[in-house]
This record gives sequence, structure tokens and C-alpha cells, in this order.
Amino acid sequence: MDVNFSQDKDLATDFLQNFVDANGETKYMSILQDVANRKIKAIQIDIEDLFDYKDLDEEFVGRVTENTRRYIEIFADAIDELIPEPTEALQDDDHDILMTQRAEEGNENADGTDPRQRMPPEIKRFYEVYIRASSKGQPFTIREVRASNIGQLVKISGIVTRCSDVKPLMKVAVYTCEECGFEIYQEVTARVFMPLFECPSKRCSVNRAKGNHLILQLRASKFLKFQEAKLQELSEHVPKGHIPRTMTVHFRGELTRKVSPGDVVELSGIFLPIPYTGFRAMRAGLVADTYLEAMSISHFKKKYEEYELKGDEEEQIARLSEDGDIYNKLARSLAPEIFGHEDIKKALLLLLVGAPHRKLKDGMKIRGDLHICLMGDPGVAKSQLLKHIINVAPRGVYTTGKGSSGVGLTAAVQKDPVTNEMVLEGGALVLADMGICAIDEFDKMDDSDRTAIHEVMEQQTVSIAKAGITTSLNARTAVLAAANPAWGRYDLRRTPAENINLPPALLSRFDLLWLILDKADMDNDLEMARHVVYVHQKRESPALGFAPLEASVLRAYISAARKVSPSVPRELEEYIATAYSSIRQEEAKSNSPHSYTTVRTLLSILRISAALARLRFSETVAQSDVDEALRLMQMSKFSLYSDDRQRSGLDAISDIYSILRDEAARANKMDVSYAQALNRISRMGYTEAQLKECLEEYAALNVWQIHPNTFDIRFIDA
Amino acid sequence: MVGRPYDCLANPLGAVRFTFEKAVSTAGSDPSSFDRNDWGVSDLFRDFLFDNDGLNQVPMLTPSTVKWVKPNSLVRFRGMIQDMLGNEFYVGAYKNKDIWNTNKFTDVSQFPMGTSPHTRIWERRLLYCVTVPGQNSWVDASCDGVVNTCATSASREKRQRDACSVSDEVEMQDANNAIPNSPNAKKMREGESLLPENMTGGTDCGMIMVPDFDRNNFPCLVKIYDTPESDLKLNDVLEFIGVLTFDTDVKTDDHELENCFDQEELTNLPPSKVPRLHCLIHRKLSPNDLIFKSPSMEPKHHMIKEIRQSLVQHLTVVLGDNLAANFMLLHLLSKVHVRVDSIAVGKLSLNLTGFDKSSISVFGNRINDAVKNLLPFSQCIPLTVEFLNTASLAPVKDYQTNRLVPGVLQCAEGSHVTIDETQLQSGTLNSNGVENTRLLKDLMEFQKLEYDFKYYKMKMDADVQILILSEGKSNILPADIVIPFQPSSVGSTGTVDEQTLNAWRWYLATVRSLPHTIGADMQKVVEDDMVAARQVDRSLGTEDFNRWLTMGRLMGVSYGETCLSHEHWQMVKEMERLRKERLK
Repeated sequence: MDVNFSQDKDLATDFLQNFVDANGETKYMSILQDVANRKIKAIQIDIEDLFDYKDLDEEFVGRVTENTRRYIEIFADAIDELIPEPTEALQDDDHDILMTQRAEEGNENADGTDPRQRMPPEIKRFYEVYIRASSKGQPFTIREVRASNIGQLVKISGIVTRCSDVKPLMKVAVYTCEECGFEIYQEVTARVFMPLFECPSKRCSVNRAKGNHLILQLRASKFLKFQEAKLQELSEHVPKGHIPRTMTVHFRGELTRKVSPGDVVELSGIFLPIPYTGFRAMRAGLVADTYLEAMSISHFKKKYEEYELKGDEEEQIARLSEDGDIYNKLARSLAPEIFGHEDIKKALLLLLVGAPHRKLKDGMKIRGDLHICLMGDPGVAKSQLLKHIINVAPRGVYTTGKGSSGVGLTAAVQKDPVTNEMVLEGGALVLADMGICAIDEFDKMDDSDRTAIHEVMEQQTVSIAKAGITTSLNARTAVLAAANPAWGRYDLRRTPAENINLPPALLSRFDLLWLILDKADMDNDLEMARHVVYVHQKRESPALGFAPLEASVLRAYISAARKVSPSVPRELEEYIATAYSSIRQEEAKSNSPHSYTTVRTLLSILRISAALARLRFSETVAQSDVDEALRLMQMSKFSLYSDDRQRSGLDAISDIYSILRDEAARANKMDVSYAQALNRISRMGYTEAQLKECLEEYAALNVWQIHPNTFDIRFIDA
Repeated sequence: MVGRPYDCLANPLGAVRFTFEKAVSTAGSDPSSFDRNDWGVSDLFRDFLFDNDGLNQVPMLTPSTVKWVKPNSLVRFRGMIQDMLGNEFYVGAYKNKDIWNTNKFTDVSQFPMGTSPHTRIWERRLLYCVTVPGQNSWVDASCDGVVNTCATSASREKRQRDACSVSDEVEMQDANNAIPNSPNAKKMREGESLLPENMTGGTDCGMIMVPDFDRNNFPCLVKIYDTPESDLKLNDVLEFIGVLTFDTDVKTDDHELENCFDQEELTNLPPSKVPRLHCLIHRKLSPNDLIFKSPSMEPKHHMIKEIRQSLVQHLTVVLGDNLAANFMLLHLLSKVHVRVDSIAVGKLSLNLTGFDKSSISVFGNRINDAVKNLLPFSQCIPLTVEFLNTASLAPVKDYQTNRLVPGVLQCAEGSHVTIDETQLQSGTLNSNGVENTRLLKDLMEFQKLEYDFKYYKMKMDADVQILILSEGKSNILPADIVIPFQPSSVGSTGTVDEQTLNAWRWYLATVRSLPHTIGADMQKVVEDDMVAARQVDRSLGTEDFNRWLTMGRLMGVSYGETCLSHEHWQMVKEMERLRKERLK
């Protein structure tokens, strides 16, 4: 390689002096002035600026990215010459005093033929030079960095798994000689170095003064902050059936203490082999360890509000928003593999979008997050829906009512095993702040959590008063719950209130309560059978009949929609009020209401309408939005209405069932013997024939099992 | 070694160098053209191993053979990829006195490289391989069998002599035979003496290895060259053929200075404990490859029927229950053959219920022995509260050592796991226990296992046959098929001769992978049957339909059929009917 480095240094000088950014300022000269005034220490040279620079040849940029380490040196040399005088008065520190002294002495020992006596430029520098890779283009994954990238500037993304302490790293070692009083410099380029023992000056070598009279001057030496970290591939970058790769990263100077384990970061840096030292160098080091010398760090953000649109996403969103059918299209793209349930998917889409938060003048807050509860028979894909929503949401936590961790849903005070201090640990709801919390098995939740969830769902905070800690944590989260009916399966003989095993106070906090019943329907059954046979026959899912949008597009669209904050126009207020009052009227007429319509319902209508307006990127709510909101609320109970089987009161068989259920609950057991059952029901005035009928009927519903010989009852816990 | 200028078996590196020199001379003395490429080594060895029947002469690396196999010779190793350690960069080619040399397939360079600027850095991948978890003794025996044959043929004689001088002698012969006029011939010998192995003298020639290997856990660090990444996956069972080296690099010397993290991955794998294998050729092993002297039969129709007949009979004797034996056969044949959305199609886990303390002691062992004898990889997990609370079922990444710590459930594709739930007592599960039950449940339901990388979890596909023995229906582990076990007789199982066992093993391995389809007419029948069944019983869901179709498929292939027939579908329905009856 015949590269003329001094020529490239001139190019670098020219670039630094003359580069003009978009605002017409000489970007790097003003940085240099700040550096001279000791305001900043780091000089970041953007590769993009090099590209944009008007009269720079591309070959030079190529050389910089191919051999970055050498060019940092070249840029630093150029900066040494360019650095202006400070324009502000500076306090002289130790370093400066040393430097002035050195400058004076410099003339005396002019016999410096030995390079070690000449002062290396490195020691004079009080700034650090970094070259930052272009922010355009996709970063590499760790496994894409190959041997051919050694020495090059690369950009990679990953998660930080380990971080070492920040330690000083010697950059220039300075010795003084006891004999001749000279200062000797030794530049350190590797992690380890061999200290000098003999003074190389002419006087000492002439006098043959041997022995250890070089003294390492720690104060005069130059140190750099140094930190080592391990970066691991992100799970989405790991091919199927492989293990995530790791890479060592070195941070120096100003870049230390920027990351901590668990951070998802994008780094640009130089991919370098570790220089061979000691024994391994003698073995001619067949194997080279490599590391990434970090040049810049940027953290990934995951919240909607901070979601940055990538590349062509903006365009795609614009195209989608012009599509009239976007509402249906987006809804269908949620969990496309789950057949049907289109209205539920629409509701879930609205949950993802949410409505804007409102803060009234008197400080009262009205939440914008929608809460949805899916209640239904086992095996209607509730859990799959929940899990899919969590995958689409940029911040989502999936948990079950009987959450496995001791922290539970809200928060817990725990003793730190190491320090013995009490620490507050957030539960699922706190972790899902500004996101979505999906709670499966909502009905089986602990009582303590159930009380706390009231607060979360309306005030959106979690209050803690435990072990001397009283505090309130933010939990601005949309709750998506799934629950089974009280007896495992929905019992149509009973009122909805009895089937839904949740207190009304909690139910009223859900904007939508969706009942999904599994009903006998020939067409549905055939559809199901066809699907299963198809899967076994063709080894793939049947075609969906439409192309679902990708999760990333969905996410981008939703994040864009969330930036809109629609309001209700005056002329619609009347319309909504009428709609609300008519629902109240209807409910008053019915003797077994399916729902509790309260003021909260009114707020729900407004929230759902606002979310719909957001999807259209509209600043005002339209009447069609309100209509759709009302329709969804109606549809959520449709599976009940359609089956007009409301009955007033209980029949004998249901009553017997509830007696037995209570009996089992009282004894806290899963089984009731036949004799016991007969005893109980005859006290209530029922006959043995009625009991038998009840046993058979509910066994068919899979609520319990009946022992074939003794007729003992065993409840099947759903 | 007629017609061959080098001995591929004893001096594979000689062969590598020879081809390298040839390639360099044709490529215009610039090795940059084969950066990350093969220059003909693979073809050469493929030719030697498979076309010239060299494979049987290559010694198998096992805990017993590792004591005498010489370094730098050709060996083969069978194992499962347990962990992937990432890339290693090495000086692949370098110029020494105007001649290019290569370090490929070796850990130490032949010549001191000095500070020559003419070096090419190449990369290789490190795979940490172990003996397949739960490998049954008959598979070991078949491995040893291979070793014995080769030991008698070639290696044993050499072993009689001084091992060290042999390698030199061979080297000399090679040099003389191959390229007598080449200036390299002499240098090669000189270079040879630079190798630390030879320098240290006779005692070291293989004795470096502390030969206390656990039979069930014999690890090997395999270095892979040139193969595309997608070819080798975690938990694959493979045979690697390559150069065995002992890396004598004393890394502990200055390592503390090198790194802030004092424990790097390789320090935990000292070469004295983990041999290194530079892989020349690898091939994926099918269960059939594991059967010693597998009866290389064509899957003939009547023969399959006969074997099936005798196997069902055997299982009936073992279980004392014909219906359970039939289900057992289908269960042993099951495998995940396709994944659609989240459903793993083809799995068929079995839950035998109705065991009590006395019957489990009799039948538990009998079932285990039978499975052990039939399948290459099987494990048995006694499920107790203490086990659930303490065991680590899923692999966990340890960032201190940068290694994947294996879990009980990290096993090769097609492994069989028997879970004995009868020992489960009531007790409290801690968070680890809850997590473990969830893992087991997920594995049964989706055939996926979650690997814990601390900062995130990754779901890996698995294909494990799970058999559960329990008192009542297992609620912790919902199996596809629950069948009350009703033994009618406790006959003696007797001894089965090796040949029959081999036939059964062959049958299970072969029939499992047969293709299978459902014809259009059968499709209609099946669909109608399903709809009718669901009209009668509302509790039937997609899982049940999936199960039926899986059983139909397995029933078909168990007779060697590749298309679902009416007869087999009826048999499935009948089996389900009988099972339902028992459940009542």
C-alpha cells in the first residue's frame, strides 16, 4: 500500500478548516475553539461530513473507513497544528504547568536523536479524537463482522451484557533519570507494556551508567479512562437454531460510563485484533482475540413517543393512511393466524392506539388508556391474542393473575440480599408503564393485587406503604385482561353477573368487556376441521386471503397515530349525550342487565371514539367514530343477546349445581362424595332424581367428573 | 497408500499442505484468492473417506481411544453441538522466506512467523460438542465397535512402536515419496520438530490428556472451516472427521493482564480436558447411522409388517396391556415434521395413568428398559417437588464464563424423555419450580424450549417424545394422549436377541421418516367424521383433531404406508373409542 500519509494529513487539515455544515458554520473549527477553551474534550468527526465535503475525493473517505486507527492519528496531528489559542482565560492546572516546564527544557536537551527523548505529541493533547460511522444504513449484527472487517470502521447493534469498572489506562509513561535528570517518554499502545530500565540519553550511555535509576513519574504520565464491556447479539438477529454471539468492546476516555448491562445500543467503532504480547507473541500468536474500539454510542429507544421512523416507513404510513380501509386492514393484521374474531381484533387495535390523556385545569387527570377484558370459554384463543398484542406493542408485559414472581402485579418491598437494604421492586403493571400490561387468568388473581388494580386502572398509579416506604409509582398502562367465566364454561342459565366472577367495581373500569362463547355451529366446525386437515396435508397454514401487514409496519403506524390528539367538536356533544342516555334507559327497562352503564361508560365511548379518530390521523372526532364505538360496545355482548336464553331466576338443576359448588368451596376440596351431595340437596328440598340429572348435565359440560361406580363428584379445575 | 503422496490417516496436515502448495502455485502465488474458501482439501478427504472406504480406518474419538490416538492424526468424533463459542480469528496464510504457508486445520504454526507483513487473517467457528445427552449403551457399543475394527486394521500395529517416532517416520516417507526434489521436503521435517508436541518427547505423545473422561460427558471443541453457518445448528447430532490437536498454549500465563474479565471462555476449556478437532468433513447422523451393522434392508412391505407385529407383541409383553402397547408404538414413532404457526404437527406425547407405588416399581423399570433398548437417546426424569425447585431444566447463559450451561431438557432431536410423576408429593414450589413446570408444559405443548440468556429469552425448536407415568391424569403436564394403564398380565419379558433388537431399532428409525399424505377422498371422510364428532361432543377442539390426524399418520407409516387409508383411519377411531371407554 503506497499511501502518502503526509498528503492525507493535508487533506484532513483542509477538511477541518473548511468544512461548512448546513448552517453555514465551520463546524470543526468552532469545536476546536471549544476544545481550546477546555469546554469539551471529545472531537467527533462524522464520516457523513467527510462524504458531504465538497472537494474531497471518495478514495480518502474509503481509506479512513478501512484504516481508521491510523487516520485518527492523522486527524489528531492535523488538529495539533490547527488548535487555536484559548479565547477565555484559563486556570492553569498541573498539566499545564508541567507542559510549560517541558517546553522550556525542550531546548536544552537538544541531543534528542533517540525518539524516546522526544516528547510524543500524545502527551500534549488534552482532547480525544473519534471518527463516527455514518448514521445511515443498517448496523451490522455481531455475526456479520468478519475477518475482512479487521481495522475497519463498523457499526453494530447489540445488548450490553457485562461491564467492567472504569480503570486508568496508561497512554504515555514518563520516567526521569536519576543520573542525568532527563525526562524519558514511552508511548503505550497495548494493554501491557515493558517498563524501561535504562536511560537512553547520550550522557548515560557514554557513562555506561547501568542499574535501575529510571523512576516512573505517575503524575507526569498520561492516563486514560478505560472500560471494557461485552456486547451480545439481539435475539431478533440470531438465526434459528443458533446461539447469540458476543463481542468485546473497549471504551476509552469520554465514552466510558455510558452503558450499563441490559442496554440496547448501537455502536460505531474500529474492529481490531488485540496485539500479541508476552509468551503468546513468541508463539507467534496463531489465534487473535479481537475487540471493538468504540467510537460512538447511541441507545435504542423503545417507547412509542420516542419511536423513530426508519427509512421508508414514513412513506408507507402515508400510503396506508390514504387507504380508506385502513381500520379493517390493521385489525386483520393483528394475530392473522387466529381465525375470525374481527371485532375483537378491532377493539385490540384501539387498545394499542389509545386516546390522549387529559389533564383538567384543577389538576384532575383523565386517563386515555383503554382497558379491555376478554371473557370466554376455554380454548377460544384468548391467550394467543394476548401474547400477540404484547409482541406488537413496543412495551408490553405479559403476566398471569397468579404471577409467579413474589413481586406480583403491582410492586413489592424486598430486602436486597447483598446490602440488606429495603428496595422497591416494580411488578408487571409498573414495568409496563407507558405500555400495555396483559394479564391472563384475571379471575384467578390474588386479592391483594385485585384491590391494587382498582387504583392502577383509574388513577394509573401504584401506591405502596410497606416496610417504611411510602410512595406512589406511575403505572400509566393499558390493561388487557383475559378471564374464564366463574364455572370454567359460560353457563347460559345464569345471569352474566353470576358468570362473570369479578366485582362490579372492577368491571366498570374496563372500557370493553368482551364475551367470547364457543357455540355449536356446523359451519364453524367444518371450518375448523378443514383447517386442521389442511395443515396436516399441506404442511402449511391455509392462505389467509389477504397479506397481513408486518409487525414493524403496524408498530410504526400506531406510533404515528399516537401522536395525534383529537378533540370532540361541539356539535357532537349532543349526539353522544343522547346515545348515552338511551343506553341507560334500556338498561333500566331490562330486569337482568348485561352491563353496568355508568359515567365511566360515557368516558369509554369518548375514549374509543378518540382512538378511532387517531387511526384516521384526524384532529377531530367524527360522528362515524362515535357510531363505531357504540357498535363495538354492542358487539361485545352480542354472543349473549343472540342467544335469547335469558332466564329469570334459577332452575332446580342450576341451583343444585351451585349448592355442590359451594360445598366443595367450603371444604376447600375438589371432590364431593355422592352421599354428602345427596345429604346437602335433600336439606334444600330437592330429589335424588334431580341430583342425577344435574350430575349428568354438568359432566357433559366438562365441569366435573363423575366416578362410574360410586358417583362421587370431582370438579375439573379449568 | 498406493498412489497417494501422503497418508491421509496419519498425516492429514501433510495432505493439507500439499494441496495448499499446489493451489498456490496455480493461483499465481497469492493465497488471498482463497480467503474463506476451500482449495480442494474437502474434495480430497471426501474422496479418501467415502470413495476409497477410508472412513472405517479412521479411529473414533471416545474416552477410551483418546488415550492412544496420536495428535495431528485423522480422527472422528460423534456428538451433539451443545454450545457455539463464536468465531476465532487466526493467521490463515503467511509468507515465510518467499513461500506461502498455511495454518489452516492446525493450532500451531509450522514455521515461526516472525513479523512478516504478508499474512492473511482467516476465521473459523468454534463449536462445543458433547456426547449426546441420554445416549444409550447400545449406541456406545456401536461406536466402540467401529473403533475396534479400525484398531485391529491399522492403528494397533503402530501403537506398538514408539508413537513419536512414527509420526516423524511417516512424515519423512511422505516427504520422500511425494516431492523428493522439492526444497520443501527438508524444511517440512525441520518444521515438524518445531512443533511443541514433538519437542517435548515421547511421554507427551497423547499422554497430555488426563484420561479421566466421564463416559457420559465427553466434550470436544470442534473448529469448523468454510461451512456456511446455516448448515450446523444447535443440538444437531453430527460426525466430525478432522485433525486432532493438543493445544499446548499455556494461556493462563499472562491472561489476567489481558482482560478485565478474568475468565474467558477458553480458559474454562483447558486442552487437557477438552480435545480440539479441526474439522475437515462433517456429516449429520441419522438414527440409522447409529445402529451398529444396521440391516441395510429396503423398506419392504411385508417385512415391515412382520417387524411391527413382533414389536407390538414385545411392547404388549412389557406393558401387559395391548391397547397401551399400540399407543406406545405410535408414541415412539412420533416426531415433529412441520411447524405451522405455533403448532408443532406430528408430536404425540403419551400419559399412562393409573400407576400406584407397587405397579410403578415393576412397570416403570420395564418401560424404561424397553425404551432404552429401542431408541438411541432417552432420559428419565423422576418428577419431585425438590427436583422442580432445584434442577435447571433449560439451558442458561453464564456470562461469567461466557458459556451456555446445559439444562436437563437440552437434548438432541428425536430424544425420548420419560417423566415419572408418581413420585410427586404435595409441597410448595418456589419461583424456580414454577418456571420449570412452565418450561415442561411449553415443551409438551409447542415442542419449544426457552433458553435463558438473562437479558432476553430465546425459544428454540425441540423435538422430544415425552412419556408421562402418573397416578391420575397429569394436570401439570397435559399430554396429547391420556390413557389409563390396565395391565392384564405380568409376564416375563425374557431376553431379546441383538438381531431382533437391531431390526426394531432400524424399523423405528426408518419408518419414522417416511413421507405421508392424505388423499382427496380420505380428506372428505376425515372432515365429515370430525364435524360429526364435534356435533356430539362440544368439548372437542382443534387439539383433538390434530391428535387424530397425527395418529392416522403414524398408524399409516407404522405399516410402511405413505398414504392414509380407510382401514387405518378406522383403526385410529377404534383406538380412540377404546381409550374413551377407559377414561369413563
